[in-house]
Amino acid sequence: MGYPHKPHPRETVVLSRYFGDPEAKTYKGWAKRGGYEAWQQAQTMAPAAITDVVKESGLRGRGGAGFPTGLKWSFMPKDKKKPHYLCVNADESEPGTFKDREIMRWTPHALLEGTAIAMRAIQAEVAYIYVRGEFTEPYAIMERALAEANAARAFGDLKIYLHRGAGAYICGEETALMNSIEGKRGNPRIKPPFPAAFGVFGMPTTINNVETLAAVPHIMKQGAAWYKAMALSNPKSTGTKLFSVCGHVQEPGNYEVTMGFPLKDLLYDLCGGMQPGRTLKACIPGGSSVPILNREESERCLLDYEGCVEQGTMLGSGGVIVFDDTADMVYQIMRLARFYAHESCAQCTQCREGTAWTTKIIERILAGQGKTSDLDLLLDLSENMTGKTICVLSDSCAAPVVSGIKKFRHEFEDYITGRKRTVLVA
Amino acid sequence: MPEDLVKLTIDGVPVGVPKGTLVIEAAKQAGVLVPHYCYHPGLPVAGVCRMYLVEIEKAPKLQIACATQVAEGMVVRTQTAEAKSARMGVLELLLINHPLDCPICDQSGECELQDFTFQEGRPATRYSPEYPKRFNPVEDFGPDVLYVPNRCILCTRCVRFMEDVAREPVLNVSERGDRAYIGVHPEARLDHPWAGNVVDLCPVGSLLSKDFLHKARAWELDKTASICSGCSQGCNVTLDTRDNVVVRIRPRPNLEVNQYFICDHGRMNYRWMNRGDRIEAPLVKRRGGGAELHVVDWDEALDRAAMVLRGARGRAVALVSPKASTEALFLARELLAPFEWTGAFQVVMGEEAPLAAVPNLALRAERAPNGTGAELLGYIRNYAAALEAAESAAVVLVLDEPETTVKTPGALLYLGTMLSDAARAADVVLPIANVAEEDGTFVNRDGRVQRYFQAKPPPGMARPAWWVLAELLAVLGRGEPVASASDAFDRLAQSVAPFAGLSYAALEMTGKQVAARPAPAAAEVTA
Amino acid sequence: MSVGAHATPQAGTEEYLPVFTGKVLEQLHEILTRYPTKQAALLPALWLVQQQRGWISDRNMAETAEVLGLTPAYVKGVVTFYTMYHQHPVGDNFVQVCTTSPCNICGAEGVVKALLEHTGAKELGATSPDGKWTVIEVECLGACGFATPVLINDEFIEGVTSERVPELLRKYK
Repeated sequence: MGYPHKPHPRETVVLSRYFGDPEAKTYKGWAKRGGYEAWQQAQTMAPAAITDVVKESGLRGRGGAGFPTGLKWSFMPKDKKKPHYLCVNADESEPGTFKDREIMRWTPHALLEGTAIAMRAIQAEVAYIYVRGEFTEPYAIMERALAEANAARAFGDLKIYLHRGAGAYICGEETALMNSIEGKRGNPRIKPPFPAAFGVFGMPTTINNVETLAAVPHIMKQGAAWYKAMALSNPKSTGTKLFSVCGHVQEPGNYEVTMGFPLKDLLYDLCGGMQPGRTLKACIPGGSSVPILNREESERCLLDYEGCVEQGTMLGSGGVIVFDDTADMVYQIMRLARFYAHESCAQCTQCREGTAWTTKIIERILAGQGKTSDLDLLLDLSENMTGKTICVLSDSCAAPVVSGIKKFRHEFEDYITGRKRTVLVA
Repeated sequence: MPEDLVKLTIDGVPVGVPKGTLVIEAAKQAGVLVPHYCYHPGLPVAGVCRMYLVEIEKAPKLQIACATQVAEGMVVRTQTAEAKSARMGVLELLLINHPLDCPICDQSGECELQDFTFQEGRPATRYSPEYPKRFNPVEDFGPDVLYVPNRCILCTRCVRFMEDVAREPVLNVSERGDRAYIGVHPEARLDHPWAGNVVDLCPVGSLLSKDFLHKARAWELDKTASICSGCSQGCNVTLDTRDNVVVRIRPRPNLEVNQYFICDHGRMNYRWMNRGDRIEAPLVKRRGGGAELHVVDWDEALDRAAMVLRGARGRAVALVSPKASTEALFLARELLAPFEWTGAFQVVMGEEAPLAAVPNLALRAERAPNGTGAELLGYIRNYAAALEAAESAAVVLVLDEPETTVKTPGALLYLGTMLSDAARAADVVLPIANVAEEDGTFVNRDGRVQRYFQAKPPPGMARPAWWVLAELLAVLGRGEPVASASDAFDRLAQSVAPFAGLSYAALEMTGKQVAARPAPAAAEVTA
Repeated sequence: MSVGAHATPQAGTEEYLPVFTGKVLEQLHEILTRYPTKQAALLPALWLVQQQRGWISDRNMAETAEVLGLTPAYVKGVVTFYTMYHQHPVGDNFVQVCTTSPCNICGAEGVVKALLEHTGAKELGATSPDGKWTVIEVECLGACGFATPVLINDEFIEGVTSERVPELLRKYK
């Protein structure tokens, strides 16, 4: 459902079926809509069996990395010797992405149910749902839903807790999330060790995204084959995905489509196309950390993991940011660099200094004080920031810069040569 | 067992190391030293500076050597174009906000940012002069530590030291991104007894010692290996001297004793080494009465002392300082051997201050470096008994104890550095060198004998105590004079069982165990 | 990017009222049961402090440290990492406006300008003369399709435009 719009006939409505339906938020309302049946079923299955179903379905992490979920679950020790933990990543902060918020606002029990099933699959007794601090409404709704479910003893001895973040994008990185839960600064950890061996509190841990877990009850109920069959392009990208479309489209919102759906149709058909009189200039399909696509690439791009890679970008979180011909790409890339500079945790030199320097260089260009050599400097800096740090925030800053200069070089040059007037004061 | 070692190649050099060794340590064995900041063998791994990026065959991306364990058959290359370019990139980024403070920065000359930039950095900056550099004012962290945020490269060594080694997290990283700096809470100062180590650990001039501030330039300093004389722990130190004045003490690594650290008490324990009010010439009282001491040369002084000793019968008492070298203590004993001999020392005590995470390392209650050495040589701690014995002794030898007032009918020989009132009562006063002015050894509380080296010349005609005593023995016809501290030690090793077979060469730079370690007290056993 | 000096410590001689007493302490005890370590209760504990006092002072940090067996410096390091914890008092209404790119291209900066003007705060981060408003720009609030989202204290408002600002503010006056 293209919430807040009416569902579009070309959507495949699974996760978003009850977006906008206030009764679906309640425990009774959810049960009425077939909720918690999958959890009942899962409780009769062995943990490994649940994992096998999810593996078979081809479900991949919807937070951005696209790692096969069943495989991730299978990394947990089969022989349970220590407490196991599940962390639910509800820290949605990737610019352009707003799907997890909707899942929690409208179908909190879907997330809780998915969480419980996952806990059983990985033999965890405790789960922490890490909700970003700014999500005051989803947090309140989750609190209420959890209270209702606990009152009904829905999860037996399993303990699901909400943990509120306090304003840090980097806490969406799985190891930083664990550190934040432990009461530390949200610094990502060096891997290895991996969370399944040494996670939160030093115990085996799995971290899953909200959208990933919300899909699990559906997979359990309707079977792996059903989920697997939903693949329009590449068989390795299965199921549905909520694409958060925002920016310069007529009808922004969350649209649920089958993997492999053409980006062109999503923009021009489902979202109602550009504003009157405007044309598509650029699109970032996976949240701001993936390379920018120009118009031709956008119109060719199929929305699954492989399709995006083919166009030189990534599916990421599925946050589709749309720029039409009125957008100032240089300014927006600067604004994205500023985002990363603000959010850097400060551990790695390349990220800490590089994101800020990148921002400064583009600000100077916008202020009419850029030099042609600045573009080479930006590209060199971006290369220094890629593949050399503890986490990929540094790489994420480089992605829009490199793709922006590659595909919209003339816009940068217009500022440098003075053809375009300055918008910023140095 | 050689078979249990993991074999790998680093820059073409094959090495074999135990399983679990980090590539950075294995590289040292291959003689490969790559610039890095945040890694330190005495601290937990952080992996944040991102300097030591190396190419590891079969790994898709560059890896940091400080956080990668060795694997069989691993091929590591540290000097590939990509790795060097990555390091150049890090150095460039560290310098964009770093102020051009070298002319006024204490660290200049011993700064790892200078050194590594010279080695692998960019010749010129690409940071536009129009960008302001990040600025924060200097902060006073505590009794001796100043923090200059502008120079900080956020390697977090200081934070990790306080948190994981001292186990008192009073330093934090505050804020985020390029606004980050090292912070303290206003209610807690950096006054931990081992806090001064953060100054040594800081690779740049960000954490500074107030004591050393603007005192000397690194390249003006001569460095000499020594042993701290502040307590009985026997931490290995380096004395930094400039124009024969000791200006700073820094730790010297010894994994058996003090790892890489020294306490603040020891660190500040050097000003007395430079005192000018020293006895600079031998002194004797004229025969035939008169309480005045007259300056004489060594020959006359030694003759006079020998005459006193030859003429004495019965009891002899040695009142020695536990700061005296083992060699001197041995030769003093030898000197008084013909007598009914009592030797004793007293030790000033203070509060103990352990370094939490390092087993068996603390500022010790016993504030002297060679109490154990004295004990091994037969000196007792019952100073009062010795003072009493002196009241009926024929000869009393006082070795570097200026405050000891001796009541004796016999002759009083004083070997010391300062002419105190008590010393003026002596018949013969012989000037000696202090710990910075001679070679010698101390035996620490754990029974480890360690060498210290001469850092500056003794003043005037003062000589090492072992030389004085050996000369005296020679004049008495009881042995050859000793040409060096090494020879003195050899003589000691021949006579004193625990030292059998040892020599200065055998002691190397980190010493050898000669006596059993005392069993740790219950409170000392750490996890 | 701030290039200024960071706050100097305050000297306090007033009597300090602890936060963790009575009901608040009970809440903390409940929170402590959720985690295997006391340290893990730090972020929730800091939220409790901010809910009670509106901001987190150095003294509050020291108290929280004591209650959880941590050092004040450690707690301060955590507080300064997370942008939602206030280290100084803010206006009665704390307004956060997203201006990251997706909202930026939908007029977010205009919303900020309108808010600064109509609240009287005039400058980002400053409190209005009547003490009622502080307005800041924040990064992505996770509601990009509902541009521009604005958080006023705990209330999350979607779809704010510069034209809607006066009407929106009337609710809080």
